[in-house]
Amino acid sequence: MNRLEAPTPNPSRHLYGGHPKMREGLNSRYTAIFSQRRGDQTTRTNWSRLLGTALLYFILTILLVLFMVPVYGAIVTAFKSQAEVAAGGYWTPPASVTSANFDRVLDPEDGNLGLYLQNSLLLTIPASIFSIALGTLAGYALGKYRFRFDGLLFIFIVAGMFLPPQIALIPVFRMMNDIGLYDTLWAVIIIHTAFGIPICTLVMRNFFQVVPNALREAALIDGANEYSIFFRIMLPLTLPALAVLATLQFTWIWNDFLWPFILTQRAESRTVMVGILNLTGQYSVDWGGQAAASLIGSLPTLIIFVFFQRYFIRGLTLGAVKG
Amino acid sequence: MLRRHPWLVPASFLALPLLVYGAFVILPTLNSLYYSFTDWVGYGADISFIGTANFEKIFTDRLFSNAIKNTAIWLLLAMTAPTLLGLSLALALQGKRRINTLYKSLFYLPICLSPIIIGIIWVWLYSPKLGIVNIFLRGIGLDQLATAWLANPNTALYAVFVAWAWQQTGLNMVIFLAGLTSVPTPLVEAAKVDGANYWQTLLKVIIPMLRPATVVVLALTAISALKSFEIIWVMTMGGPFNRSDTLAVFMYSESFRKFKMGYGSSAAVILFLMTLVIIVLYFRFAAAAEELYE
Repeated sequence: MNRLEAPTPNPSRHLYGGHPKMREGLNSRYTAIFSQRRGDQTTRTNWSRLLGTALLYFILTILLVLFMVPVYGAIVTAFKSQAEVAAGGYWTPPASVTSANFDRVLDPEDGNLGLYLQNSLLLTIPASIFSIALGTLAGYALGKYRFRFDGLLFIFIVAGMFLPPQIALIPVFRMMNDIGLYDTLWAVIIIHTAFGIPICTLVMRNFFQVVPNALREAALIDGANEYSIFFRIMLPLTLPALAVLATLQFTWIWNDFLWPFILTQRAESRTVMVGILNLTGQYSVDWGGQAAASLIGSLPTLIIFVFFQRYFIRGLTLGAVKG
Repeated sequence: MLRRHPWLVPASFLALPLLVYGAFVILPTLNSLYYSFTDWVGYGADISFIGTANFEKIFTDRLFSNAIKNTAIWLLLAMTAPTLLGLSLALALQGKRRINTLYKSLFYLPICLSPIIIGIIWVWLYSPKLGIVNIFLRGIGLDQLATAWLANPNTALYAVFVAWAWQQTGLNMVIFLAGLTSVPTPLVEAAKVDGANYWQTLLKVIIPMLRPATVVVLALTAISALKSFEIIWVMTMGGPFNRSDTLAVFMYSESFRKFKMGYGSSAAVILFLMTLVIIVLYFRFAAAAEELYE
């Protein structure tokens, strides 16, 4: 279980001499030997290297263009008039840009996506906050205190990260019916809170483990109690970890389809992903409408991707490499 | 008080998270196990314990063995194609060039999209007459290859897989890139000094150092491949003729379309056991990787 310990930033720094200058010196000595040995070959090496780099980026660019075709298709289709799409111009840039598709899917009388967006926000924001809050509590207990079976408890919680949702689908469906929360956003909020606890606990425990103990001890000597230490001293420090978790949880819960699909039914409690899938039935030949709905539904997570990418990626690799 | 009960403070922090986790994750998981031994239909209180009847039935169910076959194909493809592509992209884009930042961002853009939306977009791409895949094939004179990708029983599963891999590749690249930052530069430089060319350095130094990242990528890919449901549901609903029906789709159809919740639970339990195997393997290999490199 050691590999779940807090990450050591860039182990190479510890293994291969601490000071960057020293490593630089080492490298330049290598380079000196390197160029001395190759000598007259330098020009040829440079040329073939340049050619290799050019070839590499040529291939990468082709790959990237292929990769971006679906995104491009969605964008151009969303801004085209229905007439133009019907005429067969799916993959060409729009002759004239129109917002008609967006108006149609947002219209309460038509696509009604506005309501579903609102529902998704009312679900995603509380579920993200609750799961992070509970994960912070558990992560603090597991990262800063030693007690009996703490390691076992940690594995017990983190194992939940790997559970396929299918195993809980039917019992949760029944439980929500029994306690009268079926077909409400609360049912989905509770489930996402509970299923978010493992990843949030993992990230927060790793975070608290590297917070120096001296901080807590100093406060204890000053007469602070355990809870005021947590709320006044520890919590303000967690901001970067909270940002990482907020981007992760928001993206997952927003994009999730299975739980709201199982646990809700009426339009009043429909989330945006379930709503969009329903629209594809209603707009079966209306690609413009589908594309506009897809863009609207992806907008919140795209905003996170553009502005908080650093945190999002850190979260992905923290949860992954250390999980 | 505190000294006598050193567990009291952590217990007070843990109480609420454990309560929620226990009630809504652990309890349902155990309940699923119970339902798999019953004949519950999804409504009403009529539940009777029928022993292992569901499991005996499921192993003779042709739809189930079909789903297992498709899941196996899906798993095998998932562990290879997106892993290799993700690794290649990570190796190609690991340098600090400014253009790499842009390329990397675009390659992992699909991670932030919902499988529902990815499915919807890829359905157009595969559209028989107007989809870009067939337009392209006809454009380069390969008309005979153009087909109704999602309606053709021979291509449906693979077509859906490509859409799924489109998202998975970016995620794998991110994890490999994180793994690459822990490959010590002096080690790579030393190999070069010793006269190794790029491919030798790659095979003998870089790839072995990437073993922990590879274990993570394979485990995560396998787990997300096993539970992937949404994208298949959007694109084919498991069809045509159940040819893209995986275990996750089978479980859903049996429980929520045919209302055989007890039977569906036994499928869920089997899916869970398969995941468990991967988790155990993962921790074994992760521990082995640890011994070697730390």
